[in-house]
Amino acid sequence: MADTNQNTPIDPGEYKKVTEAMYKQNLELARLYKEVDSLNHQRESLMHLINHKVKGAFTHSKYIFAGLLDGTFGEVSPEVKKFAEQGLESDNMGIATINLFLNAANMQKGLIKYDMKKIDFQDLVIKSLEEKKVGAESKGLALESNIKDGNYMVTGDKIWLKEVLNNLLENAIKYSVKGKIEVNLENKDNKILLSVKDTGIGITEEDKKKLFTEGGRGKDSVKVNIDSTGYGLYTVKLIIEAHKGRVWAESEGPGKGSTFFMELDAI
Amino acid sequence: MNATLNTFAIRIIKEQELVIGPLAWSEARKVPGLQVIDEKKGEVNLQDDDPKGIIDKLVAQYERIFGKASHAVCHDAVQDLLASMSPDQVPSSLK
Repeated sequence: MADTNQNTPIDPGEYKKVTEAMYKQNLELARLYKEVDSLNHQRESLMHLINHKVKGAFTHSKYIFAGLLDGTFGEVSPEVKKFAEQGLESDNMGIATINLFLNAANMQKGLIKYDMKKIDFQDLVIKSLEEKKVGAESKGLALESNIKDGNYMVTGDKIWLKEVLNNLLENAIKYSVKGKIEVNLENKDNKILLSVKDTGIGITEEDKKKLFTEGGRGKDSVKVNIDSTGYGLYTVKLIIEAHKGRVWAESEGPGKGSTFFMELDAI
Repeated sequence: MNATLNTFAIRIIKEQELVIGPLAWSEARKVPGLQVIDEKKGEVNLQDDDPKGIIDKLVAQYERIFGKASHAVCHDAVQDLLASMSPDQVPSSLK
């Protein structure tokens, strides 16, 4: 009968070989850890630079443009006014992009404190729909909604859940050139399910994998939305995860539109 | 001089800790003449009579169990300090 491993004495030479091999493996891991740590430090200093210098520069010029528009610097010609409006809009977009990036980084580090309260999610959806209606219609898109009767009370942070809704609706508007956007809200077995269906560029199988990842833009997303940062849906995912919910996307393929779903527990 | 060698010991143990975890401190405790004062703060004390010899023993302690790769780790941990030392000050295991 063959001897079992348990009863076989370990050869000291073999033992040393295994220990040394394990050490080398650990050493490789330690090197990788150091690399990641160093990248994290670089990222930290980059964030500091973005927050203090880049955002500061945007804010500074924003107030100059705002001052030109509100008469702080006296009467200005219509031409200057037009440039100031464009500059102000551009600065606001720059600041919004930086905030999105910084928020995502703070969420990753657990620095965002969610103010979890009992709220009516339906109210947030209705409010967001009202706010986005003009933007959709100005692009010639119909914004339709279907809210079924039911309980939509959730435990959540109103401000951040609103950010999620804004993001999903704005994406649907940005990535649709024509057609309509359908928003459905229902309570299924005590799970609140929101879907935002668009007639936009759709999502390829390859893009689906990186859709909710940090900086994960779709391959053709910038063709339709040149301001795409790749941080919007990543932020959505982090917020929904903090609410113990789920978010995902479905699409039949490029050019066939997309549907984004989010699910939260009803209370 | 002793202060520099103290730094050597701390750097070596901490570098080994990155690879083998708390085992790095337990092995350091086995080295005669090396006293671990506070593991968390990373404080050690080398006995006055032969601090260079203690560093050699520390390097050998790791090498005996983990092989040549661990010797290279010890060397890397103090490489920048070695550059500013005269050869007779450097423990022979790190030359």
